[in-house]
Amino acid sequence: MPAQSDDRAGPLVWAAIIAATCLLLAALQKLLWLTVPFLLALILYYLLQPAMQALIYRGVRRESAAIAVMAGFLGGLLLAAMSALPRFGARLLDWQATLGRYLQGGQALLDHSLRNLEANWSLFAKARLAETAAARLAQFTDSLAGHLEPLVLGAAAWAPALLLTPFLAFFFLRDGRAFLRFVARAVPNAFFERTLDLLAEVDRTARAYFQGLLWLTVLDTLTLGIGLWLLGFPGAWLLGLICAVLAWLPYIGSIAGGLLVVLVAATDFPQAPEMAWWAVGLFVLARLLDDFVYMPLTIGKSLRMHPLLTVVMIFVGGAVAGVAGLMLVLPVLGVVMVVGQTLGRLIADARLMARHRHARRLRKKLAEADLAV
Amino acid sequence: MQIDHIPLAHLFGRRKLTPRLARLAQVSLFGQLSPGELDIVDGLLHQREYLADEVIFDAGEEGQALYIVLDGEVEVHRPDGNGNAAERIATLGPGSFFGDLALLDNLPRTAQARASRPALLAVFFRADFMTLMDTHARIASKIALQLAREMGRRIRQSQFGGGADGRPAWDRHL
Repeated sequence: MPAQSDDRAGPLVWAAIIAATCLLLAALQKLLWLTVPFLLALILYYLLQPAMQALIYRGVRRESAAIAVMAGFLGGLLLAAMSALPRFGARLLDWQATLGRYLQGGQALLDHSLRNLEANWSLFAKARLAETAAARLAQFTDSLAGHLEPLVLGAAAWAPALLLTPFLAFFFLRDGRAFLRFVARAVPNAFFERTLDLLAEVDRTARAYFQGLLWLTVLDTLTLGIGLWLLGFPGAWLLGLICAVLAWLPYIGSIAGGLLVVLVAATDFPQAPEMAWWAVGLFVLARLLDDFVYMPLTIGKSLRMHPLLTVVMIFVGGAVAGVAGLMLVLPVLGVVMVVGQTLGRLIADARLMARHRHARRLRKKLAEADLAV
Repeated sequence: MQIDHIPLAHLFGRRKLTPRLARLAQVSLFGQLSPGELDIVDGLLHQREYLADEVIFDAGEEGQALYIVLDGEVEVHRPDGNGNAAERIATLGPGSFFGDLALLDNLPRTAQARASRPALLAVFFRADFMTLMDTHARIASKIALQLAREMGRRIRQSQFGGGADGRPAWDRHL
């Protein structure tokens, strides 16, 4: 009987998994111009894969299916862009005024709330909370242009790299299977079956994660869209979608989405400050639904991670690689976890290692067979 | 589109098989597949080379794939449970396949497979078979039917035994 190894990864393997995840995040942060298009391409790949599978199911060849699906996606995108561009272009001209208006609305809401606090709590009144906050906010808005400029320039520099996304996604769709076969060819016979299992598991994990992320976005958009629509917010569905996409960034994204809606509420409903609190309440409700219902139903099931580990690793990811780390940490950890656990099992399996050494001896013997005179 | 599904294609004769596909067509598991279907299955197969005396898989190992002998020879050994030399239960040549239960579940292998001569094997991974069931249910059902036939044949053989002429006893009695 072969020596059987324990399927559970030990503390050493877990330490290696966490260390490898941190190293990868640090390395990926340096290659963000490639990492982000790559990640978006993976999302696009898993988004389009069901459509391609449906075409293959109908008898279309893989190559033709990949071309058809990508052409359909790009065509749809082009149509959407052509229909939205005139409206967007008209609004682009006064975007600065709009941004200023929403910031002023937010400022007014903050001022109003703090003055209410001061009126009710002498402690806050003594601290001149509203004045201090107003001064700091004015300082921030004065330097806003300085903060925005590098962001806008960075976005412009990234645009060409983002063009890689459909290009990469197309080749993932067309050649993904051939690439897996190519990788499998390099694996020694003794580890072949386990490695195939590993590759299938990595694919399963990544597919479940990204498809889960897309479902989560749909559910979040529906929840926030319905909630904001019931509250009477203008552009409720668009706001819901923006907040749902922002939520791809754990914690920071949700806070940014919440702030955005509060800003809209404060600006579009200046006479009804309670709308901002209703919006905050809606966000708390959406957050709770997200954490306890949607995520376990979508992403949570895919990664099979302990919730404590997930939360700790999100903070570790943020500390190691900033915003990029927050976004990348869960998929990277998911893949490293599968690879680490499988490698741990392979190395710990004495029988597989013995078979590998035996095969190497056989190959050496064959190579040296006719060398002796 | 797969030309084999269009009746007009038959007016122009059968699609010609490449030597590799012709070899796969000899495998009973794929015996019911059309050339176009064989081509799709071939895209899912991995190819491995084993030297004489190299272990392909061990008894007790979790099975993930079915193996098809394209060239060479493979022996199947069943362990006696006491760590003694395993009993040889089958010698398989080109066209044979083994490890087929792994296509259905991931239970441990019941025997060891070892190349007795240098062997070229095609490997059909369970995950790919499952994908095939989703994407090409017709092809997968043909393979599953052949697999069921092969298992039925083996069950009958194990119940009625085999004869000296190589034909199973049930074949001579029924």
